[in-house]
Amino acid sequence: MQSILKGLTLGTSLLSALALSSVTAFAADFSKGSKAKDFGLNEAVQSTFSAKVVDLLCEVAGNCADNCGDGNRQLGLLRDADNKLIAVLKNGQFSFNGAAEDLLPYCNKKVDVDGIMVGDAEEHNTQFYMVQFIREEGASEWSKTNRWTKAWAARNKDAKGKGPWFRRDPRVLKQIEASGYFGVGKEADIKYAKENQ
Amino acid sequence: MKIRSKLLCIFSGVALSTLSGAGMVMAATEAKPVEIKGEIIDTWCYLSGVMGGEDAVVGSAHHTCALWCAAGGIPVGVLDEDGQIYMVLKLKGEDAIAKTDNIMEIQSDQITAKGMHYVRDGVNYLVVEDVIANEGITNLNHEDYGSVPPNSFPKNYLGNQ
Repeated sequence: MQSILKGLTLGTSLLSALALSSVTAFAADFSKGSKAKDFGLNEAVQSTFSAKVVDLLCEVAGNCADNCGDGNRQLGLLRDADNKLIAVLKNGQFSFNGAAEDLLPYCNKKVDVDGIMVGDAEEHNTQFYMVQFIREEGASEWSKTNRWTKAWAARNKDAKGKGPWFRRDPRVLKQIEASGYFGVGKEADIKYAKENQ
Repeated sequence: MKIRSKLLCIFSGVALSTLSGAGMVMAATEAKPVEIKGEIIDTWCYLSGVMGGEDAVVGSAHHTCALWCAAGGIPVGVLDEDGQIYMVLKLKGEDAIAKTDNIMEIQSDQITAKGMHYVRDGVNYLVVEDVIANEGITNLNHEDYGSVPPNSFPKNYLGNQ
């Protein structure tokens, strides 16, 4: 009987500790200390936290690849405070860039990130992340998340010409050549231009 | 002995449910086979509102921007008829941001995808095993919104032809 009582006491203590940590995780204010810009985006909330960089496909489906897929997979953040898997949609650049290039150097490593959560949480059950700054755990200096355009330039040395990458990207140009800017044929482009230009 | 075992079981159960409630258990995400009909969208523009309202950042109006975002490695999603978004993690055996034309060729199309659905922390993830139907772009909203953003259509289109 005495051992049962000991077990009860131990269990109660364990539950109290767990409940406390749960409340702490739920009550965490991730905006505190953030220097991220919100750009006036939909329901944007500044959010800085510590996390592990993970391969999303590995994390949700158990389909894992070496080095998080070497830049061919979407990456995410497993937040330390509540073990929530955060889907990352954007890096800090404003030229149509995802975040994989900026997260890849930290594959399966602990990092601190600063950015914004966006999107209507009620409508979509959660929010999504734009990472603007990152540093490896323990590092003092933050890095801007702006690796994408340099990585694109290294992959597309033949994409000459003026203008930003997305106007010179061979994959984009191929689709526009095939089906026009509206994707429904060049006739639609011509009709639109005649009516509006 | 029996009482102690029962108490341990109860505590384990309560502790697990407490952990689970806080999202602390790394539960294996359950896979569900699905067929989802919807439009291939650019998740960032749709969710962030950066280019305008949800009706304008889909379909033909937003097609070129959707190409830019897909080529830029922003996650592509399937927006179904109920407004649910499924983030595509794999497309017919290919990683989501492999630098090929496959993900580009279906931008803004109305498709039916067969695959595995996972839900984790409120996000729908989709591994597309096959695209079993593709109706092409059916939302011709450029007739209402023009090109979104405006600079996704050339300024002097006819002069450059």
